[in-house]
Amino acid sequence: MARKNTLLLIIILALFAFAVCALIYPLFDRKEMRLGLDLIGGVHLVYQADFPEDATGEERAAGMERALITIEKRIDKYGVTEPIIQQLGEDRILVQLPGFTDIDAAKSLVEQTGFLEFREVELNEEEQPVYLGDYFQQDELQFINEQETGNRVFVIDVVNAEGEREHKTVAFLAKDNGDIKFTDASGNPIDATALEEYADALSWIIARGDDGTPLTGDLLADAYASLDQSGVVPIPQVSIEWDSEGSVIFDQIAARLYPRPDNENYFDPERALGIFLDNTLLSAPEVNAQKFEGRGVITGNFTREEVSELANLLKSGALPMPLKKPPLYEEKVSATLGADFIDMSLKAGIIGLILVMLFMIIYYRLPGVLASLALVFYAALVLAIFKLIPVTLTLAGIGGFVLSIGMAVDANVLIFERMKEEFATGRTLGAAIEAGFNRAWTAIRDSNVTTFIVCVILYWLGSSIVASAPVMGFALTLFIGVAVSMFTAIVVTRTLLRLFVGTSLASKTSLFSAHQERK
Amino acid sequence: MMFDITGKRSLFLIISEVVILIGIIALVVFGLKPGIEFSSGSMLTVSFEQEVDHSELEQELVNLGYTNAIIQGIGESDFLIRTPELSGEDKAALEDALSARFGSLSEREFHSVSPMVATETAHNAAIAVAIAAVGILLYITWAFRRMPRPFHYGVCAIIALVHDVVVVLGIFAIFGAILNWEINLMFITGVLAVIGYSINDTVVIFDRIRENLKRGMSADFEVVVNNSLVETMSRSLNTCLTTLFVVLALLFFVGASIQNFAVVLLVGIVSGTYSSICIAAPLLIVWERGEWGRLVFLPQAKAKEA
Repeated sequence: MARKNTLLLIIILALFAFAVCALIYPLFDRKEMRLGLDLIGGVHLVYQADFPEDATGEERAAGMERALITIEKRIDKYGVTEPIIQQLGEDRILVQLPGFTDIDAAKSLVEQTGFLEFREVELNEEEQPVYLGDYFQQDELQFINEQETGNRVFVIDVVNAEGEREHKTVAFLAKDNGDIKFTDASGNPIDATALEEYADALSWIIARGDDGTPLTGDLLADAYASLDQSGVVPIPQVSIEWDSEGSVIFDQIAARLYPRPDNENYFDPERALGIFLDNTLLSAPEVNAQKFEGRGVITGNFTREEVSELANLLKSGALPMPLKKPPLYEEKVSATLGADFIDMSLKAGIIGLILVMLFMIIYYRLPGVLASLALVFYAALVLAIFKLIPVTLTLAGIGGFVLSIGMAVDANVLIFERMKEEFATGRTLGAAIEAGFNRAWTAIRDSNVTTFIVCVILYWLGSSIVASAPVMGFALTLFIGVAVSMFTAIVVTRTLLRLFVGTSLASKTSLFSAHQERK
Repeated sequence: MMFDITGKRSLFLIISEVVILIGIIALVVFGLKPGIEFSSGSMLTVSFEQEVDHSELEQELVNLGYTNAIIQGIGESDFLIRTPELSGEDKAALEDALSARFGSLSEREFHSVSPMVATETAHNAAIAVAIAAVGILLYITWAFRRMPRPFHYGVCAIIALVHDVVVVLGIFAIFGAILNWEINLMFITGVLAVIGYSINDTVVIFDRIRENLKRGMSADFEVVVNNSLVETMSRSLNTCLTTLFVVLALLFFVGASIQNFAVVLLVGIVSGTYSSICIAAPLLIVWERGEWGRLVFLPQAKAKEA
């Protein structure tokens, strides 16, 4: 018995050490508690998709996919950490942007129709491609191709964090009030010295038809993923269709680009038609014919996923987002308020914990001290579980956890009250402990079942509605809290109490109860 | 006998009847004010740099055309403004007008719920409450299956439960009328948590009654019930206290954002503890002895006793 107890004690201490380590150090890639939007601040939007009445199921699914991909792409550019963009049910989209607190900017980011335009590479007098570095050679900034007075977009290929190659827009060159300046995407001037590392960035100018009309997304009729069946193996490609005006302009551009030099196996910037969505280069296919008559395909070393993503992005620049405005649900919490919430709930948790511990110690004496130790163990274990699962902590979730601290001692209270009664009948400490625990067990089990039932129902309620975070957070934290509390009350407190069996302290009954009633 | 709880059952039951009656009248007269989650609309929390007078802000909102706006002050210069659903432009215009009048402000929090989502949320919350009721009933049937008269025990536990829910709802109806408190999802969450708590409490007491009956403590049912209550009293009160400690900590330190939730728990836990001890268990005796008259006329019951 004593041996078994020592073993249990070691296990408990090890578990405690593990929980504390998990809280302090990054473990299993979990560096921080995962906090909900209401605690870190941010924007939460839910949109209803908007399709024509007669849209087929397939069209709806395709529209949803397009909206999701487009929103993801746009948000990627803003460097929001851990954004959530997901489909809710059949026809809703959830967008959560932690740390992004300008709700109006967030809404326009999601709702706007993308700006799709087509560009070609700027050529110098020798018909050679122009790079950003060429502009650094000038004494006074001026457009190298003087005929084209629209802005230049400088794009460089970089390898991103995931090891994939991607096109990165580094700067713009634009004429503003007669001055030519380098700017960023919002039009703010950039100092040329800051751009020196991007000397290899290609300069892209607006692709125009013979009458100067730029080729933009408005002229695109459709874009969709298809398969090139001409070879042995079907190859994924993107088919595009122009409207009547677009097909004329596109052919005029093709007639100009196609005759330029071609190195069969290499990328020829001179012949490339850059597809830009919101100033980001999506793809730069080479023009391989003189005449297209309104239809074309973009081929390359594409996977099916890449092809459907590209088609969707092209379409997002041609069609409005299929979303109903205003959003079904909007929520914004400022970052300072979130920080206040963390502060306040932390305070509430600590004060609550201290009050409960004080009460238990004053009322139950030594067992109260042990129950308090078990409570500290409980808090550490529950928080470690929250961090490791991870449970997204919201204000309501922390509320559930704090509430569970108060309820966690209930099992201890049930047991200690039983023990007191056993003492009163003249039993020894050891016998009182075992009888107390055994006889309180059914009450503990039965009484926690209702809390579990309520948690499960609340969790369902939370998952079935749009504003789900508070209810789900509360249900989850309370459930975990109550489950762990049964373990700590029954196993931890009992193990600690057994340590005193057979010691000289065991006979000092006043240590075990302040209210000894003798019959 | 230390405490004679069951002997005062007439008093307890009459008190509860009065409280329930007040609660029901409040509910009928005032009703509950649904928050934006259930009725749609927008809720804007702004923080002014300067101190702003509540009634001036109210007047300004009326001038701006928001005649039904509800304003709640939080701290010194923060206000929660509840309006019908605001579009982005409406909100910008409102904030501009307010900062022109009261000096610069920052937007702390903004929620906006469309009618579609509100209907859905209210619908699903109602389903959740219904499922919870069925779940609790099933649980009670299961938990009391070993009791001598499962039906009696179950019904008494449910009466105590209904008592607690009516108390909470009644208080919110009154607060709604006086302080414009609204019920939201956290309110529903709190009510369900209270239901769980109240049943727990009753189960522990009934469990003890069953145990004492089995042990043959006394031939007098009232003595058994009263002893069981006394034996479980410190557990009931202690658990109530520890839970209240943390709820009070939440109420005082976190405040406005989970005020509804904390107040539901506060009221519900006190009521739940009271109802388990002073209603559920005494009702068992009332039923056992067919003293239903006691519930209606105190004097008559007294006479019968004499």
